[in-house]
Amino acid sequence: MAKLSSAQDLAKKKKELQQPRNNWVKVGMSSCGLAAGAQEVYDTLVEESRKRNMQIQIQKCGCQGMCYAEPLVEVSVEGLPVVVYGRVNRETAVKILDKHVAGKMLVNDSVFDLNT
Amino acid sequence: MDKKIIFIKDTDSQAADRTRDFYTAFLDQLREDGLQDEVQVLRVADIGIYSQGVVVKVLPAGMTYGKVKDADIKRIIESSVKKDQVVEDLLLKREPKQLRIVLRNCGVIDPDSIDEYIAADGYAALAKVIHGYTPEKVIEELKASGLRGRGGAGYPTWMKWNFTRQSKSEEKYIICNADEGDPGAYMDRSVLEGDPHSVIEGMIIAGFAIGASNGFFYIRAEYPLAVERINKAIKQAYDYGLLGSNILGSNFSFDLDVRLGAGAFVCGEETALIASIEGRRGTPRPRPPYPSREGLWGKPTAINNVETLANIAAIILRGGKWFSSIGTEKSKGTKVFALTGKVKNSGLVEVPMGTTLRDIVFDIGGGTISGKGIKAVQTGGPSGGVIPKEYLDTPVDYENLQKLGSIMGSGGMIVMDEDDCMVDITKFYLGFCVDESCGKCAPCRLGGYQLLGMLTRISEGHGVAGDLEKIRKISEAMRKASLCGLGQTASNPVSSTLNYFESEYKEHILSKKCPAHKCKHLITYSIMQGRCKRCRVCVMNCPVNAIGGDRETGFYIELDKCIKCGKCFEACKFSAILKE
Repeated sequence: MAKLSSAQDLAKKKKELQQPRNNWVKVGMSSCGLAAGAQEVYDTLVEESRKRNMQIQIQKCGCQGMCYAEPLVEVSVEGLPVVVYGRVNRETAVKILDKHVAGKMLVNDSVFDLNT
Repeated sequence: MDKKIIFIKDTDSQAADRTRDFYTAFLDQLREDGLQDEVQVLRVADIGIYSQGVVVKVLPAGMTYGKVKDADIKRIIESSVKKDQVVEDLLLKREPKQLRIVLRNCGVIDPDSIDEYIAADGYAALAKVIHGYTPEKVIEELKASGLRGRGGAGYPTWMKWNFTRQSKSEEKYIICNADEGDPGAYMDRSVLEGDPHSVIEGMIIAGFAIGASNGFFYIRAEYPLAVERINKAIKQAYDYGLLGSNILGSNFSFDLDVRLGAGAFVCGEETALIASIEGRRGTPRPRPPYPSREGLWGKPTAINNVETLANIAAIILRGGKWFSSIGTEKSKGTKVFALTGKVKNSGLVEVPMGTTLRDIVFDIGGGTISGKGIKAVQTGGPSGGVIPKEYLDTPVDYENLQKLGSIMGSGGMIVMDEDDCMVDITKFYLGFCVDESCGKCAPCRLGGYQLLGMLTRISEGHGVAGDLEKIRKISEAMRKASLCGLGQTASNPVSSTLNYFESEYKEHILSKKCPAHKCKHLITYSIMQGRCKRCRVCVMNCPVNAIGGDRETGFYIELDKCIKCGKCFEACKFSAILKE
């Protein structure tokens, strides 16, 4: 990695990195999430999205704060509001891919928060 | 245009859930209007609103309606779904209660990626400081912000930095205190795990301001993931030249390293923490001299809490004035709380200072799990106290909590309902402090032990009339004579519960009764024959075979065998077990 040797370097780097991104799924992978089974959910999402050849980024993130509803999965798909699914298990993870990402319909009974 | 979506959730937790009924009703109505393909109806698990009946939210406009009745369904679809108009009389107007400064990136960026942090304005504050600020100006900015230490005591951060800056020495240090040990508090862990770079950036800026070229993270070893992520983040920052020599082409150099705490609560106290980093036994020493004069290896040292440091970059970027516009007169900015205990939505909340406990517990936390009333809220961990329900409308800031006999502390907030016994809770906190006392000074070592002994006796039904007087005396002695904060505040939970719930103590001592039915020695279980259906579920669940009798003659509990575990009470579907 090249060192950033001035403030201009940093600003340039930031510009490069700030590409608008749309289709992504984020899994909360801090202690609270991992304890509730986030690793399994993450692995399922990665595996199943690959199987289906989906154009979606599966990412990791920290704790959102809603520890009571871990594992949390946040989904942003064009044309749909950004929602946070809670208490996600393998089954819901697959539903999120099939119904939300591919079918553009939100999944019932699992939405815990709305990020606008 | 985005598709219309209708969110539905029944927010009354006590009655039967009507979410599905309304879901079907909405679907039927939409079908009647021929809209079923254009609108999605969604049952959500949580809508962020509590005790408002059936709540309906229409997206993308986001109108939120509360206490929706069957008759309103048609109206909502006519106005809000077909025409984007608001149904005024059902509208819930709500201001967002939370404000995220410290947790700005937590749950948003990938903590393992410095690139995502940079894309989210990361290290911009560092660049601004290094290339345009004098150290004095950084301290000026912090003074304007009014930021106070988030570790608990609330000492103004700018003063701490200023003292350290003014101490003359070739070498100075900055330490990040991540030895978070209060039971039920995990704000710092979440920040370290979710946004490690924000703390690192805060430390580099702190180093610049006080004139230090070395910094240490002191993280408790019980946080392996936090340690892993901080180590990774430090390495990434070195690779980018954001740590090390000549940061961003300036002549400022700064190195950062991690030290692990070996699991002693007292090492969160700054002088004990310093001893621990130096490789000595982690015991506190009397202050002064304060670490800002003689700290790590005798050099001036500034020690800041994780949350304090996570605020720094935001303050530099948006200005001290902006920060000071949030909060109350004397407590600025926001505070992160770890909301736990008998609350429905336990988790991390970040609210502006001055938010009331009621807002935090009911509007964000959703009230109690059991639906029972709240008895008290405990803040400040083992150094704090309880705030009874009469004071739930107090705006939370450093001064107000102190006035109520508690403290802000690092941000643990434990909600207790009517099933919690104050003597029991106090015993727990005191037991924690007795365990963690380093034993160096007598008031804490002996006082704590004696207090715990007395509380144990009271909870076992052996309390005597003079006990409360004695407890008060010992508490006072500990508060005045202990060497460090741990001992001085260890009796806080005792004095605060004694202050608000003296009658409960008396009940234990004089009538040998525990009003909350929590203290094992003071309760008995029995079977109410009138209600018992003789299903034998209690017999099956009893781990010590203390339930005798048979289906013909009925069952009874043999009190000499009973260990009072409460299994039968929980297992009985007919509420036929009496606990008294």
